[in-house]
Amino acid sequence: MSDTGPQTDFDPIEPNTGREFEPVDVFPATEEFDLRPGADSCFKCSACDTSCPVAEVDDDFPGPKFQGPEQWRLKRRQGHEIDDSVMSCSNCMRCDDACPSGVPLSQMHNTARGEYVSEQMSKTSVEYWRNRVLSNYRTSAFLASKVPRLANVAMNFGPARWLMEKTMGVTKEREFPEFASTTFREWWAERGGADESRRRARAHRERLGLDRDADKRVAYFHGCYSNYNTTEVGKAMVRVYERYGYEVVAPEQKCSGTPMFANGMLADARRHAEVNVSSMADLVEQGYDAIASCTSCSMALRQEYPELFDIEGIETVAANTFESVEYLRIHEDLKTDVREASVSGELAREFAYHAPCHARNQGLERQSVELFGDLEGAGIEDVGDSCSGISGTYGWKEEKYETSMEIGEEMFDHMAEADGDVGMTECPTCAMQMEHGTGYEIRHPLELLEEALVENPQSEP
Amino acid sequence: MGSPPHIAVIGGGSTGAGIARDLSMRGLDVTLVEQGNLTHGTTGRMHGLLHSGGRYAVSDRASARECIEENRVLREIATHCVEMTGGLFVKRPEDDEEYFQEKLRGCRACGIPAEVVSGAEARAMEPHLAKDVEKAISVPDGAVDPFRLVVANAASAIEHGARIETHSTVRDVLIEDGEVVGLEVEHASGAGKRVHGTEGGREEIRADYVVNATGAWAGRIGEMAGVDIEVRPSKGVMTIMNVRQVDTVINRCRPKGDADIVVPHETTAILGTTDEEVEDPEEYPEEGWEVDLMIETLSELVPMLEDARTIRSFWGVRPLYEPPEVGSTDPTDITRDYFLLDHAERDGLEGMTSIVGGKFTTYRMMGEEISDHVCAQFGIDADCHTADVPLPGSEDFTVLRDYMDEFGLRSPIGRRSVERLGSRADEVLTTSDPNPTVCTCEGVTRAEIRDAIEGSGSDLNAVRIRTRASMGNCQGGFCCHRMAGELHGEYDEDVARQAWDELLQERWKGQRHALWGEQLSQAALNYALHATTQNRDRDPADGDPVDFTAFDGGARSSEPSGTAGVATDGGGQDGD
Ligand SMILES: Cc1cc2nc3c(=O)[nH]c(=O)nc-3n(C[C@H](O)[C@H](O)[C@H](O)COP(=O)(O)OP(=O)(O)OC[C@H]3O[C@@H](n4cnc5c(N)ncnc54)[C@H](O)[C@@H]3O)c2cc1C
Ligand code: SF4
Ligand code: SF4
Repeated sequence: MSDTGPQTDFDPIEPNTGREFEPVDVFPATEEFDLRPGADSCFKCSACDTSCPVAEVDDDFPGPKFQGPEQWRLKRRQGHEIDDSVMSCSNCMRCDDACPSGVPLSQMHNTARGEYVSEQMSKTSVEYWRNRVLSNYRTSAFLASKVPRLANVAMNFGPARWLMEKTMGVTKEREFPEFASTTFREWWAERGGADESRRRARAHRERLGLDRDADKRVAYFHGCYSNYNTTEVGKAMVRVYERYGYEVVAPEQKCSGTPMFANGMLADARRHAEVNVSSMADLVEQGYDAIASCTSCSMALRQEYPELFDIEGIETVAANTFESVEYLRIHEDLKTDVREASVSGELAREFAYHAPCHARNQGLERQSVELFGDLEGAGIEDVGDSCSGISGTYGWKEEKYETSMEIGEEMFDHMAEADGDVGMTECPTCAMQMEHGTGYEIRHPLELLEEALVENPQSEP
Repeated sequence: MGSPPHIAVIGGGSTGAGIARDLSMRGLDVTLVEQGNLTHGTTGRMHGLLHSGGRYAVSDRASARECIEENRVLREIATHCVEMTGGLFVKRPEDDEEYFQEKLRGCRACGIPAEVVSGAEARAMEPHLAKDVEKAISVPDGAVDPFRLVVANAASAIEHGARIETHSTVRDVLIEDGEVVGLEVEHASGAGKRVHGTEGGREEIRADYVVNATGAWAGRIGEMAGVDIEVRPSKGVMTIMNVRQVDTVINRCRPKGDADIVVPHETTAILGTTDEEVEDPEEYPEEGWEVDLMIETLSELVPMLEDARTIRSFWGVRPLYEPPEVGSTDPTDITRDYFLLDHAERDGLEGMTSIVGGKFTTYRMMGEEISDHVCAQFGIDADCHTADVPLPGSEDFTVLRDYMDEFGLRSPIGRRSVERLGSRADEVLTTSDPNPTVCTCEGVTRAEIRDAIEGSGSDLNAVRIRTRASMGNCQGGFCCHRMAGELHGEYDEDVARQAWDELLQERWKGQRHALWGEQLSQAALNYALHATTQNRDRDPADGDPVDFTAFDGGARSSEPSGTAGVATDGGGQDGD
């Protein structure tokens, strides 16, 4: 992945909808595609079933082969219902990765789930509203961030959590993530926004002996979590990129849609996607690349958007989106720089690294281990290829909590076995699960990169 | 008259089954004999189009009128066999406008509801249609499952006292004093429900009247009776696609030609067809180029077909007939109408009539006409009720129920099962036993397989046509052994094994002309699985029965240790 070959190797396999195909009201007034032809590629080998973490622990879950190609093939255009088991799929997308034959599994699950929710799930049910609240995390986080300290206490207040479980089906077993007192965007604005970033990038270019006006510009898709919760990740991204001479912009953005796909809220997801695509598309036109520090966000922009929506500019955005470490590995000699660096202090630790499923889907599951293996002062160990089990909002649902923890079991064990007692992962919800299951503190690779490569990061506001 | 006359019907296709039902409903005593399983002949190898009559509206208006009439009847009496998909006659820019107008006039003249839709409207209905389609005529074409329909007719006949013998070949027509008095029949495996490999033998079936409904084989029966019947068998190829690219019947609107129709059928779409005269209804060449040509031509209408997965191809022979004096040279010129040949009038041979030609869609009408004719021979005045009494499975029944909860099935599987079973769903699917899905491609559960076995005995190909099990994209790769497993208990290992072999062979046969692309991957996987897990690469059917007792019972075996050695000294499966 680190060579500079075509950067768009990542090619979510197109469903066989025929070259001449142009969707004309297949299902009038809905966002749905006819995915039956996608079943053509399936030869029933069951590789997807054997890699599904939910099927492994939940005997009632029929697995991706049924959920995807079989269910679609049996479907008729009208009057055929989606089986409710689609709501048990966590959207980890492992099946997508496992299929040797290019069946568009996650597209099938997402579309089926969307259809199930819009047509079969009662809009007055607690489940529907719980899912909607969970998947619109951005809205809750936005409100909470206005009163972060109060929110931190209130959200984890015992009786309140008991009530939430009883009335909304949000498990009380988990601790809500802490909200930062200053959001990433507040910090960014205060710091001087894009102008300040350009100034800093230029200074670094000079230091590096590069052209002052080098064409090194990226648009940061920070997502909700590094904005409201782990702002250190967002800040680390900005500083590491500037250190390599990149100017960063933080365009207007909404939720990537990941939690909405997983909950079948395709209309919500589409609304958010429209904003994201339109602001990213403009920048991409101007020569920016889109960078995400959350692997599910990059996954959404790269694969799910073009699979599910037909929005102007979506293909260009998808082709120019990268995960933050991946991008630097492609364009900079990150490996050498890390090998020559060292860390001391707070982050001079042994890390137990878990690769998120969505990183795996983008071929990124080894990047942190390969990178930090050579870093002096720190150590990293891969805790294996199991799924963390939380899959975003999935593990927050009262009825899915047990399943989620059962799936996570293997990862917890491996973390306990590993030398380190600090966890590392790119995905914020995997981080929650890792912390929940082991009590470890969890860090993002960008934080360690910052520590290794950026001088004096804490000296700026 | 004392007991009702006994009528022997030869041929278990749509025509024979329709006649058997009609006659038995009128109170006659009927025996139907069929050399294979039901639908073994052309009926099991047709396109599945429930004609609106549109296809014949220009060339053969009499047929067109019959079609629309029967189309309406079948929608009522065979709801669980028919899917009213609607159909389109699509005009591409290069197709003749005059013919389009003629088609429209023809439909209207024959009472076939027909509307012109624009290219854009047609594409809104069927998004995969070619972009340059100009316009289309919409007609009430439908899709019909020939297997289910024939099985339902046979079931109804049995309810009315008929005897249905499958795997029973007519070897001779018995004639005494210039009159047909019965048939000599060879049972492949014993009278009654089929049992493999044992019993069998000849039987003389005496009958007061014989109806020859053997379609393309009618001439053979004629020979046995010493009369000439000039059936002109004409073959046609059909290719089954893995999924439905269209949900409406798509016809090309141009004068007769090859490869001009796509019919959605259950989970699949079937492409057709060609028309070429052959000598022998059983031995004719099946050639790959016919399939290639068809896919290529139909891609002009539905471009995605070109790259889509095909799961198998098959050929059928039309039992075309024309009175010898007409002398058409091109088989497409031969009428699609049917002919009733009373051999008494025609050849001076009393006691037998043949029915030849016709279409599946008009099977009931043919049955009615010949039944009238038979009744007339005996001076019986009984009304025909086949047009108003629904077939078993199509009785009054509400489809809008929550099967998933009711039968504990996943929704698409419950829905498919109920569509197949119709009003028999309750009876078949209500079970206290575990009901796993046996065929995952088509969503067929164990309960439905068991019901089919009850109806057709140990012949798994007959179970297949009743249920669609093994007819999906893996073509039996993952379910044939499970189906065979369901035979066990009622039937012993030998029988189950033979039935399994036959089913597998039949499944492979039809894939020969689809082995490229995805289906080739599928076949390779099936082959590897069957070779490595079932020892299929060394043909166990040739060997002696497997000596199961020679296998180690394993740690959990309840047998006391020490008995394992007993069977190794050549003991048979029952330890004898
Ligand atoms: C390619 C093709 C596509 C077609 N598509 C359509 C369509 O879409 N719609 C439509 O309406 N029609 C269609 N037809 C026409 C239709 O299939 C036939 O007209 C109809 O199925 C004929 O049925 P049948 O019962 O007369 O003949 P068959 O189904 O051939 O039945 C005759 C039976 O007699 C049995 N038999 C023969 N000899 C003996 C013997 N000695 N002893 C015992 N049994 C014997 C045979 O095994 C056979 O099962 C199509 C035909 C072809 C060839
Ligand atoms: S997305 Fe994950 S949970 Fe869902 S079916 Fe695929 S592997 Fe299973
Ligand atoms: S892995 Fe792909 S080809 Fe294999 S069963 Fe699953 S969807 Fe089908």
